Amino acid sequence: MKTWCTRVVRKLMGAAAAAVVMAGGAHAAPTELKIAYPVDLPSWDPTAVTFPAGQSLFKAVFDSPTFMDDKLVATPRQIESWKWLDDAGTKLELNLRKDIFFHDGSPLTAEDLKFTFERASKNKAIALNGMMPTVTGIEVVSPHQAVMTFSKPTPTAIKSLAFLTSYILPKAYIEKVGEEAFLKQPIGAGPYRLTGYQRGSRITLEAFDKYWGGKPAIDKVVFEIVPDSSARVAAVESGRVDVSVQIPVREVARLQKSPNLEAKTYPYSEMFILQMPSYVETFQNEHLRRAMQLAIDKQGLSRAFYNNVAQPLSVLATKGSAADVPDFSIPFDREQAIAELAKAGYSKDKPLKMRLLSTNNTFPSDYDMARAIAQMWSQIGIETTVEEITMAKYLELSHSSKLDGVMLYVWANATGDPELGVGRILDPRLRLSTWKDPALASELDALSTEMDEEKRLASYHEIMKRASENAWSLPVLQSISTIAHKKGLNLPTYQTGYILPQDYSWK
Amino acid sequence: MLSLVIRKVWVVLITALLLSVIVFILLRLIPSDPLGMMLPPSATHEDAEALRQVLGMDGSIAKQYGVWLQNAVHGDLGRSIFFREPVTALIKTALPATLELAMVSLVMALLIAIPGGVMMYKFEGRKLEIPADFLLVVLLSVPSFLWGIILIVVLGVAFPILPFMGQLDPSFSVPRVTGFLLIDTLLAGQWAAWWDALRHLLLPAFALALSFSPIIARVLRSSLIEIATEPYVNVVRLRGVSERRILWGHMLKNAALPTLTLLGVQFGFLFGGTLLIEVIFSFPGLGNLMVQAIKNFDLPLIQGVALVFCLLVLGVNFCVDGLYTALNPKLRQA
Repeated sequence: MKTWCTRVVRKLMGAAAAAVVMAGGAHAAPTELKIAYPVDLPSWDPTAVTFPAGQSLFKAVFDSPTFMDDKLVATPRQIESWKWLDDAGTKLELNLRKDIFFHDGSPLTAEDLKFTFERASKNKAIALNGMMPTVTGIEVVSPHQAVMTFSKPTPTAIKSLAFLTSYILPKAYIEKVGEEAFLKQPIGAGPYRLTGYQRGSRITLEAFDKYWGGKPAIDKVVFEIVPDSSARVAAVESGRVDVSVQIPVREVARLQKSPNLEAKTYPYSEMFILQMPSYVETFQNEHLRRAMQLAIDKQGLSRAFYNNVAQPLSVLATKGSAADVPDFSIPFDREQAIAELAKAGYSKDKPLKMRLLSTNNTFPSDYDMARAIAQMWSQIGIETTVEEITMAKYLELSHSSKLDGVMLYVWANATGDPELGVGRILDPRLRLSTWKDPALASELDALSTEMDEEKRLASYHEIMKRASENAWSLPVLQSISTIAHKKGLNLPTYQTGYILPQDYSWK
Repeated sequence: MLSLVIRKVWVVLITALLLSVIVFILLRLIPSDPLGMMLPPSATHEDAEALRQVLGMDGSIAKQYGVWLQNAVHGDLGRSIFFREPVTALIKTALPATLELAMVSLVMALLIAIPGGVMMYKFEGRKLEIPADFLLVVLLSVPSFLWGIILIVVLGVAFPILPFMGQLDPSFSVPRVTGFLLIDTLLAGQWAAWWDALRHLLLPAFALALSFSPIIARVLRSSLIEIATEPYVNVVRLRGVSERRILWGHMLKNAALPTLTLLGVQFGFLFGGTLLIEVIFSFPGLGNLMVQAIKNFDLPLIQGVALVFCLLVLGVNFCVDGLYTALNPKLRQA
């Protein structure tokens, strides 16, 4: 017994020594990268959910048919070229690259593309149906050529193929192993293959040497799921990870002073907007809405909460995107706001009482910004109570048209296209819209099928100007993201906000 | 004795059933839309209704509960809306991590509380009583998640001695047999991995233990003070038995009974504490799963995890009752 105990103790001591040695060498080798990431994926089916925060991981494992570059222009990726086969915009020829392989070594072909969309059409719970609702079928012309058909003209098809839920799944593999097994051990055709997954804790990826774009410079990437932002800061500060994503804005300046770290705040393709419920009588008064818009010092908000990096917005589009209207602005003007509020019948002596709803920490400094906006409104005579709300509760209220206050919301649109921005925000038929003007439905329908790109964008710009002038929905700021990483790592950031380790390298 | 056990089992089953009804109804009364999180921005009201039908969420609450209960009895707790996997499978994967964390923190709490309680009893009426009381109040007032953050800052960042993310270093690969990492690493003969898993457990378990132990220590001290005046203690003392032997050999055993009862009650709070601790330490357990479920209003998962938490607390109390009966001769005779 004593000998056995001694043996166990010796083994444990040896293990301790080994672990100490490992801890000493725990700093990532130049071919490895550890990233502290705030969220885990809901599912390894990238077509199933519209989950913006997970797109970086999906792109690493599955790649994407097309890709939005840093100027938010759709560029070839797995689909190397495309061509509309009719003027009506209902038949789109797609040419796939011939050198794409899935992680099991099988080639990616047009059959996989067809399978992905057919699989979705058989299951209403798959979100790809909702993201590309006009797709009626895919005809396989050759192993690397397909024709996608639409029920009506779909000018944004190529952009949608770069956006949420658009990923090509491996037909043969899924048919061979089944759906459940695929979700447990997914394979894609991306630059990294999944080699380890522990829900809520860790995702391990290894570089795929047959990736069409060449094997990534970093061999192994570990995404540590760290939901707590303080823990993400601690992780990068202690050197236990190489990169920390979405750290608190106030920590960026402090980490920038660290001799071993680089930290930055950068704007990306999401925007803070104030959703106005048109079905509440108070908000039907255009003077009141304008007063609310004019009273917000957006630059001040950016300075206070986002290191002055977040860009003030005057239309429902992020700066530099196709939807943006650069020559249009609605400046902060408190005097004018007071005058508009007086026209609505309110003043500091006769204040309006209303509610402003906001999530708390779902988006960076969301609740703090809501409180600051309430303060700005109180200065002109709108006494605002800020109330915290969960996203699920907001969606329920929005869905049932029972939102009784203004909601501070963040809209994600990594394509920068107006159809996926203002086209959705103001569509009265959609569950997420709160400004329900039936007249806008037909106008937006006409634009969603407009194949003349110049005309389409010009018309959207007109709608956006009208939306801002009439304050149907108030654009506030372009969202920002934050990142901190070890010095010596080349880490480009993108307007889409994606974290793409395939583009990173150690110096 | 057997009838007592059968009675207790019935109580556990009826309590679990009642709890499941309460959890089920309460969750459905909350005005939130579980489908909202899974539908794309382009979804119309019709899309939402169609999906509601697909997921069987269109019936009355009673009908939904009936279906759920029937399946739950067969071990099927439904399918997670957010993760799109069977709830039972998700819980099965996460539960061992939480149990392991809770057990290690319980051991740590006892290692702190028993000597702590005894020491505080000994300090009674002495100069050290006030600082000891002060320390106890401080420990009682700091919540476990704050201990977690303090421990990360001190032992993870300032003096990087212990890891604070996840369960195991990514360089180890351990085949999962039981799901309990401390056991699986031993079964695989991976001693270095075992040590690493233990190191990953230390900080979160210590954070929980620091909140849990003062409560036990305080009850233990009170029990010891009460027992010190019992006639049998005086008799033993008159026999010339040393104070140390009286304390450790006689008094502590009797003082353990109320402490044990408290342990059962407080174990529920310990599980509650794992919710935030698991998030802070990126620990892939039931608490982390519950937080994600709540964030996404994933009804089947919330009620599944809530039910498992309830069953765990009931199970622990059942065991504590059993231990109490075994240790207390009066109850055995009854």
